[in-house]
Amino acid sequence: MKNKDNVKELLEYFKTVDNREVEYDEEAIAAAFHNNEKQSLAIKVLSVLGGFLASFAFIGFLLIIGLYNSGIGLLIFGALFIAGTIWVTKEVNKSIFATAGVSCFIVGFVLIAFGLYELKMAENTISVVFIFIALLSLCVVQDYILSFVSVLIINGSILILATSNNSYSIIHIYVAALTVAVTYLFLKEAKVVTVSTALSKLYSPLRIGLIFSFFSGLTLLSVKGILSSMPGYTWLPSVVIISAIIYLLPYLFSVLNINNTGHKWGICAFSVLVLLPTVLSPAISGALLVILLCFLVNYKTGLVVGLLGFIYAISQYYYDLNFTLLTKSVLLFCSGILFIALYWFTYKKLH
Amino acid sequence: MKNIPREDIHNISRHISLTEQVMSRALKENVYNDKEAWQKFLRLLFLTLGIGFTVAGVFFFFAYNWASLHKFAKIGLAEGLIISATLLTLSPKINSDVKNVILTGASFLVGVLFAVFGQIYQTGANAYDFFLGWTVFVTLWVFVSNFAPLWLFYLILINTTLVLYSQQVAKEWSEVFVLTLLFIINAIAIVASYLLIRYRAAYAVPVWFLNTVGLAAVSCATLGIVIGIFDDYQIVFPVLVLLTVIAFSLAFWNGLKEKSLFYIAVIPFSLIVIVSALLIKVSNEGAFFLLIIMFILISVTLVIKNLIDLNRKWTNEK
Repeated sequence: MKNKDNVKELLEYFKTVDNREVEYDEEAIAAAFHNNEKQSLAIKVLSVLGGFLASFAFIGFLLIIGLYNSGIGLLIFGALFIAGTIWVTKEVNKSIFATAGVSCFIVGFVLIAFGLYELKMAENTISVVFIFIALLSLCVVQDYILSFVSVLIINGSILILATSNNSYSIIHIYVAALTVAVTYLFLKEAKVVTVSTALSKLYSPLRIGLIFSFFSGLTLLSVKGILSSMPGYTWLPSVVIISAIIYLLPYLFSVLNINNTGHKWGICAFSVLVLLPTVLSPAISGALLVILLCFLVNYKTGLVVGLLGFIYAISQYYYDLNFTLLTKSVLLFCSGILFIALYWFTYKKLH
Repeated sequence: MKNIPREDIHNISRHISLTEQVMSRALKENVYNDKEAWQKFLRLLFLTLGIGFTVAGVFFFFAYNWASLHKFAKIGLAEGLIISATLLTLSPKINSDVKNVILTGASFLVGVLFAVFGQIYQTGANAYDFFLGWTVFVTLWVFVSNFAPLWLFYLILINTTLVLYSQQVAKEWSEVFVLTLLFIINAIAIVASYLLIRYRAAYAVPVWFLNTVGLAAVSCATLGIVIGIFDDYQIVFPVLVLLTVIAFSLAFWNGLKEKSLFYIAVIPFSLIVIVSALLIKVSNEGAFFLLIIMFILISVTLVIKNLIDLNRKWTNEK
């Protein structure tokens, strides 16, 4: 969507949708579209990978020359790196600086961590400082890649806060909160992007960042051995996730033109019944929620992430089950037959 | 005008004030999946889950190694399942997508059969010949179905067989040599796919398949060369380098011709990793590390700049 004709066509389309008279400056919009073009996934991934590679090299450099003895010095350099990145990104806003930006940003955080560590600060303080800086960066600049990295830093800091203090129940509440946030973000896309320019720019990085955060939380809860002891209340996130799936169903009914009340209740009850055995393994219903949400709004990257997560969660679930292989076999076989039956049922119904 | 990309809809909302309702309608009309897409998706999801779970159930059943079940019954059962699944795909009533999924399930069952065989005759579950047998006996189905997921699975089987063979039998093979072989296999698969697309238009090879195998091939080459740089000199190393140069040039040229950013992004990144490894080999002193960092930053930035320019040029040409 680069040239003016396309912008004109786009504006014509919105005129037909919106009945009100809309005021706009076509030239300015065309110029903005030219500057703010969509980058392909390859470019985004390359920017992030390049950034990580350079940051690792820099950390290697720090370790080799032993430049980590002065706490205050490290703090100042770290702050300069982060502030500089934010400033340059805000002023220049060109994707070609993305890699340099990401590496300076990450190196800044690493320097601050080293600095605070030298000053004998606790892990908690470092995490809180990280969350604060990342939030600040989100408020100041809404660049795609920096925002994505910031969301991941916030998520990582929260998880470190929870695990290093052994307060595992916070993870449950956190995952439950993420469920609500992700569901809201997907279902209310139109609302979120029309609230303000900043939110509209933040939308895409927030969406992919929250999906990754959601899965990282679910991994902590589902894979045995990561946490020193399995926290109780595992059902809490599951209940929230399953409720979110049920809340999502009416959206599917309206897309699929299902109007019969009996059918609707049947589908809801059936979904709960199928998901109930997975209540102690929230990763399964979580991945399913992500798959459904991503397909609903046609978000392909998220869909692929969701499908991979789903396959992993299911394998983990059956691997961990404390049954003999024979019982597992019967369970799997019955689930298989159930889904084949569902397939036949939908095949007949929809034809 | 239909199918406006999501980015453009988001972008325009930053310049003209749109209500939530207008935005919602625009997204629904242009971006979100409609009834047809949902039906297709749900059907495929249920079918894949159904066959996946059923085959997994069969796997676990034989893994249980039921002592009271005679070996004849075990092998007979596994073979019976394979035969009935294969017969099902011959039925004219079933559409080809479903047939392909069933045939993929049957290919997994061949693995079950060999596992049962291995269980009875104590050949071990991770022996390379188990995977070799599995690979050989699904070959025909892979070619007949021409189903991309099954092809991917087939390539994984071949790669696994080779890696296990090098670990269990040909222990004297060096890592670089194994990676060279893996690189050649995956590269041949890609070249063959492109030839098929070029000369047999009827075969539609999905992009995700090409890119996954391409990524595997490039990773093998990159890893092989990086290990080769740090290892003692081996005769296979220059061969790998030569093959990589040829394959990378072909892939890069193909990317320019097909206007696909994938190889144009992946290959320079691989080269950057290789050159960085070379630089570390030359010296790993502190100051030299700064040089490496500068090299990575500048080269990646240059690559991204070129990618953006190319992307812009190509979209304007469309």
